[in-house]
Amino acid sequence: MRNAMYRMIVVWFMATPWSIHAKADAGRPAAAISFNRDIRPILSRNCFACHGPDEQDREAGLRLDDREAAISALESGARAIVPGRPQKSALVARIEATDPDVIMPPPESHHILSERQKELLVRWIAEGAPYQPHWAYVAPEPHADPQVADADWGRTWIDRFVLASLEVQGLAPAPDTDVVTLVRRLTFDLTGLPPTPAEIGAYLSDDSADRYERLVDRLLATPRHAERLAGWWLDLVRYADTVGYHGDQTHNVSLYRDWVIAAFLDNVPFDRFTVLQLAGDLVEPAAGEHPEDRLLASAYHRLLQTTHEGGLQVKEYRAIYQADRVRNLSGVWLGATIGCAQCHDHKYDPYTSRDFYAVGSFFADIDDEKHMGKGGFGGGTNTLPTKRDPEQPLVGPFERQRAAAIDAAMHQRRKELEKKMAAASPSVGLVAPSATGEKARDKQTDGPNLSPPEEPAEIAALRAELATLEAERKGLERVVMVTRRLAEPRTVRVLPRGNWMDESGDVVTPAIPTFLGSLHTKGRASRSDLAEWLVLPVQQGGKGEFTARVMANRLWAIFFGAGLCRTADDFGGQGEPPDHPELLDRLALEFVANGWDVRRLIRDIVTSRAYRMSSDASAELLARDPDNRLLARQGRWRYPAEAVRDAALSASGLLVEGLGGPSVHPYQPAGYYRHLNFPQRTYQADSDSRQWRRGLYVHWQRMFLHPQLLAFDAPTREECTAVRMRSNTPKAALVLLNDPTFVEAARKLAERVVRETPDDKTRIVALWRYAVSREPDPEEAELVRNLLARRREEYTADPKAAEALLKTGIAPRDRAIDPVTAAAWTAAARAVLNLHEAIGRY
Amino acid sequence: MEPHDITSTIAQIQRRTFLARAGLNLGGAALSGLLARDTVAATVARSAQVGRSQGVIDPLHYPPKAKAVIFLCLAGGPSHLETFDHKPLLTKLDGEPMPESVTAGQPIAQLQGKKLICLGPRRPFQRHGECGAEVSDYFPRLGSLADRFAIVRSMVTEQINHDPAHTFMNCGTALSGRPSMGAWVTYGLGSEADDLPGFVVMTSKMGRNPQPIAARQWHSGFLPGQFQGVEFATSGPPVHYVANPPGVSPRHQRDLIDTVAALERHRLGRIADPDVATRIRQYELAFRMQTSVPHLADLSGETVETLELYGAEAGKATVGTNCLMARRLVERGVRFVHLYHSDWDHHNGIDGFMDEICPPTDRAAAGLLIDLERRGLLEETLVVIGGEFGRTPMGQGDKGKIGRDHHIKGFSMVLAGGGIRGGITHGATDDFGYHAVQDVVHVRDLHATMLYQLGIDPARFSVEFQGLDTKLTGVEPAHVVRSLVG
Repeated sequence: MRNAMYRMIVVWFMATPWSIHAKADAGRPAAAISFNRDIRPILSRNCFACHGPDEQDREAGLRLDDREAAISALESGARAIVPGRPQKSALVARIEATDPDVIMPPPESHHILSERQKELLVRWIAEGAPYQPHWAYVAPEPHADPQVADADWGRTWIDRFVLASLEVQGLAPAPDTDVVTLVRRLTFDLTGLPPTPAEIGAYLSDDSADRYERLVDRLLATPRHAERLAGWWLDLVRYADTVGYHGDQTHNVSLYRDWVIAAFLDNVPFDRFTVLQLAGDLVEPAAGEHPEDRLLASAYHRLLQTTHEGGLQVKEYRAIYQADRVRNLSGVWLGATIGCAQCHDHKYDPYTSRDFYAVGSFFADIDDEKHMGKGGFGGGTNTLPTKRDPEQPLVGPFERQRAAAIDAAMHQRRKELEKKMAAASPSVGLVAPSATGEKARDKQTDGPNLSPPEEPAEIAALRAELATLEAERKGLERVVMVTRRLAEPRTVRVLPRGNWMDESGDVVTPAIPTFLGSLHTKGRASRSDLAEWLVLPVQQGGKGEFTARVMANRLWAIFFGAGLCRTADDFGGQGEPPDHPELLDRLALEFVANGWDVRRLIRDIVTSRAYRMSSDASAELLARDPDNRLLARQGRWRYPAEAVRDAALSASGLLVEGLGGPSVHPYQPAGYYRHLNFPQRTYQADSDSRQWRRGLYVHWQRMFLHPQLLAFDAPTREECTAVRMRSNTPKAALVLLNDPTFVEAARKLAERVVRETPDDKTRIVALWRYAVSREPDPEEAELVRNLLARRREEYTADPKAAEALLKTGIAPRDRAIDPVTAAAWTAAARAVLNLHEAIGRY
Repeated sequence: MEPHDITSTIAQIQRRTFLARAGLNLGGAALSGLLARDTVAATVARSAQVGRSQGVIDPLHYPPKAKAVIFLCLAGGPSHLETFDHKPLLTKLDGEPMPESVTAGQPIAQLQGKKLICLGPRRPFQRHGECGAEVSDYFPRLGSLADRFAIVRSMVTEQINHDPAHTFMNCGTALSGRPSMGAWVTYGLGSEADDLPGFVVMTSKMGRNPQPIAARQWHSGFLPGQFQGVEFATSGPPVHYVANPPGVSPRHQRDLIDTVAALERHRLGRIADPDVATRIRQYELAFRMQTSVPHLADLSGETVETLELYGAEAGKATVGTNCLMARRLVERGVRFVHLYHSDWDHHNGIDGFMDEICPPTDRAAAGLLIDLERRGLLEETLVVIGGEFGRTPMGQGDKGKIGRDHHIKGFSMVLAGGGIRGGITHGATDDFGYHAVQDVVHVRDLHATMLYQLGIDPARFSVEFQGLDTKLTGVEPAHVVRSLVG
C-alpha cells in the first residue's frame, strides 16, 4: 500500500515540471527522509513480522521497531543499524547481500526490497537513522491555517489545508461544480437521497447569497440525514436482524437501530453516544435524555453473532464472543486491529496478547449466556425471533409521543370510568379501578370480560375504548435485547495461542492496552471507565482526540469518497499514513473542541469550497491521481446499496418515509432462503407500503443478505465494516435491469411523467430530472425517443405483453393511462434508471 | 478533448485504476506488489499457453496441473468410519466404553457429559482395484474407481460445530468476512468462461433434517464482489434476476441494453469516467449471462446414458443433476464449482439415513469421475469429496436409532483428477478411528495442495487486509501434501 503511494510520489516528482523537488533532484525526494512516510512502511511490511513487537517470535534478538533496540549490539555482536554509518550497519550488508543464506528479507518470506527501498534505507541510516513515533500513536497536534498563495479561493479553514498542499504539488483546485450537480451531491451526501426536481428548482430560483448554507442547514436537520448517518454507523457496529450463526434466526434488535437514528436526529454529542452504547446499563441518564435511551443503546453489546447450535461448547463460544467484542471495539473506536493479538502478540503494533484478553475482560460482566445453555439447546430457541435473554419490551424513540398520548387518553378514560361506576349501582363492575398507574392498567386489560352482562352501555363503551387503547399501546412496544450486568463477572484468562481449552494462562482483569497507559480506577475497571477513557481529552488522561481522529476520518470519507487516511479500519503500522495529516489532526481537534458536535463537523466539511469542486478530472489528472489523494477535485463514486434502492424509489414517487419500526421485506427471489433451517424459512415480502421504505430498514439477514444489497456491496455485518467495496459487476446490472423493485419503480416513474407532463418532449425531460436531476441533451433525448417509438409500436401490436409488464410489483396501476403508453414509457424509464449517472455520485 | 482521446486514456489507466480502487480496501500495492513479486517468480519454466491467467497471479507460480475445481461437499459431516476408514477394532469393541485415554481433554459436541461407548462400523468394507484401497459397501460404484482417486484418512479440522466448521473448511478461518476458496481461486486465476460467473455454487438435500448453509461459504469477503460465488438453482430461474421482467422479450432487453450503452458512450464523450466504461461491459456480460445460463441448465442435449450415469433428472436439484451440471460448467470454463449435498449429520438413525443418502451420492460421484475422464476433463479438473468434519467412533443415541456425534480429530476425504495420484491412501487414524496419527493433513494443508495443483504457491498468494498478508491457508505454515501430487 505504501509502496503504491510511494511510486505515486515518485511519479509526481518525475512528471511535474512545477515541482520544486523535481528540479532539485529528479526521481527522488530530495527533502529529508521522513521516517513515518518513507522508512516505517518498508520496515513494517518487510521486517517487523520477525524483528518487531512480538517477543515470542523475534529472530536474532533484533527488534527494528524501536530505535534503542535497533542500534544496540546484538547477541552476535553485530549492530543492525549504526547511525550515520551505513557501511558499518549489518542491516545494510544483509539487504544488499546476494547469498540466499544471508540476504534479508530471507527468500522464503517472499518479500523483496526494490533498489529504491534499499537506497532509501541506506540514505536514512547515513542521515542518522532518526525514528519517529507512529503517527497514529501521537496525539493530534494543533495546526494553524497554513499560508497559501491564492488567498481568494478558500472559504474555510479546511480549504486552506487543501489548497496549501495543492500549491506544493503545483496543482490548482478544480473549478466549482455546476449548481445542479452541487445540489444533487449535497442532498445525496447528507440524506442518502437525490433531490426532487422541485427542490432543484427552488434552489435555482433562490438568489440569496447564503442559499447554499441554508440548504446545508435545512438538510442537516432532516430525519433523512439522521437515517443516512445511521446507515454509516450500523456498518461499523455490525447491526443485523439475525444471529448470523447456524440457524441465523431473527433476533430482537430493531429498537437499537431506531435509537441510533434518533441519536443522530437529536445530534447527541459523540462522546455521550459512545458512553451510552458501551455502558448504558451502568450510567445515569443525562439531563433531557429519556431514561430508556440507555437501555436501547446498550443493545450495542448484543449485536454480535450468536448461536445456540446443538453441541456447542460454552467455553468455546465465550471465547468467540469475547474476541468478537474486542475486534469490534477496537475497530470502531480505536481504528486498531487488536483482534490480531488473540493468539500471539501483534506483529506490527504494540498490542500484546495479554492486552487482548485484558480488553476482553471489560465485557466479562455482560449477561448473555443463557441462550447457549448446557451443550446447546438451552435458552436459545428455534423460533422467529429466537430468544436471547436478557431482552425486554420497550417503546422506541419514535413511538414515545404516541405512547404518551395513549397513556394520557387511558388515564382520562379511567377517571371517567371510575366516576360512572361510582354513580351506577355498587354491584356493577367487579374491578374497582384505581386512579392511575401500571397496576390499574394491567387489571383493566381484562376489564370487559369481568364485567357482568347487565353493565350500562356507556360503561361498556368506555371499557371497549380502553381495551382498544391498551392494544394499541401494547403494539407500540418491541422486544429488544439489552445489556444487563452480571453480579459476578466471568473469570478471564489469557488463552495461550488463543486455545480455549488451555486454561493455563494468567487471569486478567479489565485494562486498556499497556502501551496506551492505564486507567486509574478504584477497584475493577468497568465498561463505563473504558467508554470515558475513549472520549476523555488527552490532557485529562483519556484518548479523546485519538478517537476523534478515527471518527473524523470516517466522516470525511462520506463527503469525499475516502478517508484522509485510506485505511479507515487500520490506523496501525500496517495501515497507510494519512495523505493530509495536518488537516486530519485539525478536524479531530475541532470535533473535540466543539463538544463532539457531529453536525457541526459535517457542516464544516460541506461548506468548504473544496467540497464544492467539480469531480470532473482531466485525463492528465486522472492518470496522475486516479485515487484522488491530492484533492485537486471532488470524488465520484457509485451510491451505496441502500441508496441505489432509495434513489429509484424516490424517482418513482413510491418511496415511503417514516422513522424507525420493525425491519421491512422487499420482493426477493423465491427460494432464496431455502438453505436456512431451524426453523425452515419462507420469505414473506411485504404486501403494503412497507414495500417501499428506505434500504436502511430492509431486513438484514446475515447469512443471506437481500440479493440487491449484496450485489451492490452492502456488508453482511458479521464484522465491523469501515470501508465498503464498490464493485461493478454483471450481477449488479441484472438487479437494476430485472429486480421487480426496479421494474416497478420504472413503471411508476413512467406513470408519473405521463401524468405530469403533456408530450414526449417534456416527458423525456421529466424522466431525466427525476432520475439524474438534470435535463437531457438533444442526442440523449433522441436515443430515448427512438426506444420509446419502437416499444410503442410493438406493445400496440402485442397488448398482452404490455399488460404483463404493468403487473410487475404490487403498486396499483394508474388506470387513466392506457397500457401501451404506460408500458412504452416504462421501457424508457428503465433505460434512464439504468444509467450509471442515476446511481453515481458526481 | 476528443471523445476517442478520453476513451484511450481510460483504457490506459483502467488497470491501474482498478488496482487503486480495490486499494480502498485491499491496498492497491498489495495487489500490484503481488504482481511484481510474481514477475520475479516468472523464472519457473512453463509454456506460455498454460501459464496464462486473467487473475492477479499472472504468470502462475508453477505449471498448473488443474484448471478447475469441483468440490462436492457432503455437508453435515459424513462418517469416515462408514465410508473410507475401516476400523476392525471398533467392531470388536462395539458396545464397550471408549478408553478414557483416547478422549480425555478432547472437545466434545453433543456427547458432552454422556457415556462414551464404541460403535462398530455399520457396513463391511471391500478392497478395490489394483491398489486394494478399502471402501465401505455404502460406496460400491465409487469403490470400483479406487485406482483413479486418493483417499486421505488423516484429515483434522479445528471447529466442532457445523457453521464454523464449514467456514473453516471454506475460508481457512472461522472468522466471518473472509473470502471463500472459490473466491480466492477465481481472484487468483480469473475465469475462462466468457458469459458465466467463474465461481458457481449448487445445492441438493435429502436425508436428515438438513443443517443450514450460509452464503458466507461462497462470499468474497474482502475481495471485490465479482469473485463471489453465484448460486445456480436447478429449478426455477437458475440465477437471481437472470429472467427478463414479464412482458419484456429478449429482443426488448437487447434493445434496452443497447440504448443504455449508447447513452453511456455519449456521456463518456464528455466525462472521463472509467466506471462508466466498465459498466458498459458489465451490462453486455449480464445480457450474455441471461442467454447462456438458461442454455446451460437445459439438459436435453445429454444422452439418456449420461443422465443415468449420474442419476440426473432435469429440473430436479439432486446430487446427480448437480454433478452433471458441474461437468457442464467446467466444460464451459468455469473455474470453481462448489456443490453442497446435505445432510450427513447423522446424530441418530445413521443406518436409515446412510441407506437413503449414499446410493445417489455414490452414483453421482462415480458418474462424475467416469464422465470427466471419458471427456478428457478429469486430468485438468480437481475433484474433492468430503465434509466439514467426520463422526465419532462413539455411538450417540438409542440402540436401533443410533448415530454418531461430530468429530474433528481424524476424518477422511477423497481427491481425484487435476494431477492427484490415483490409487493411494494417505495418512491414518489410530485403531479407534479417533485421532489422525500418521501424515496428518490439516484443512490448511488441503487448501495448500489444492492451490498448488492450480499452479499457485500458497505461501505467496496473499492479499493485504487490515495490515496483514492474509492467505487462504491462514497464518500457520501450510504444507502441500507431496504424496498426493506425485
